[in-house]
Amino acid sequence: MRPAPSYSRSVRRVLLHGRRPPRVYYRFLLVIVALVVASTARPPGAGAQIELTLYAAMVKGPADAAVTIIEFSDYQ
Amino acid sequence: MQEYDGRIRLVFKDRPLPMHTLARGAHEAARCAGAAGKYWPYHDLLFEAQPAFRRDDLLRYATELGLNLTEFTRCVDERRYAAQVEADVVQAQALGITGTPTFLINGRKIVGGLPLEELRALVEDALKERR
Repeated sequence: MRPAPSYSRSVRRVLLHGRRPPRVYYRFLLVIVALVVASTARPPGAGAQIELTLYAAMVKGPADAAVTIIEFSDYQ
Repeated sequence: MQEYDGRIRLVFKDRPLPMHTLARGAHEAARCAGAAGKYWPYHDLLFEAQPAFRRDDLLRYATELGLNLTEFTRCVDERRYAAQVEADVVQAQALGITGTPTFLINGRKIVGGLPLEELRALVEDALKERR
């Protein structure tokens, strides 16, 4: 089977020596891409460095305190 | 806070939830009170008065605390601190904080309201880790 001209040159080259239909190669590539994406994806905030802004009026206690409690809250 | 005498710092961050339609205005108003040096008294008043956060309510609380009503009203109506409140919301989202209250105790995330004893135990643990 001759590969269709719409496939990339590398896939066409592989197809000239193989018997599998081109779809198989593209599927294989898709699986690799999906695995790479899955291995790099993280839940929001995981391991990320987030810079928090502080409004002086909303802070109690010294800057060098041993423990800092940050409270995210909703008045309602 | 008094119990730990300088060993604790408390930072309050705004996280008005989208379903609480009056909350954002209350958070902005609290910052207006903060600009007049009354953040914490106004903050306490809001928690006592929830969910009465219509504009008139917010102005009345300012009057109760002796704030300059003209300046406070201007601050609230101009939404002078809207961007700062939004910045807190964005930071909360970036940290994956979707519920309130959420505490970060030396970076350790605790979700939900805690009985005082549990909070005290967590603070003691954090203090021990720093020793």
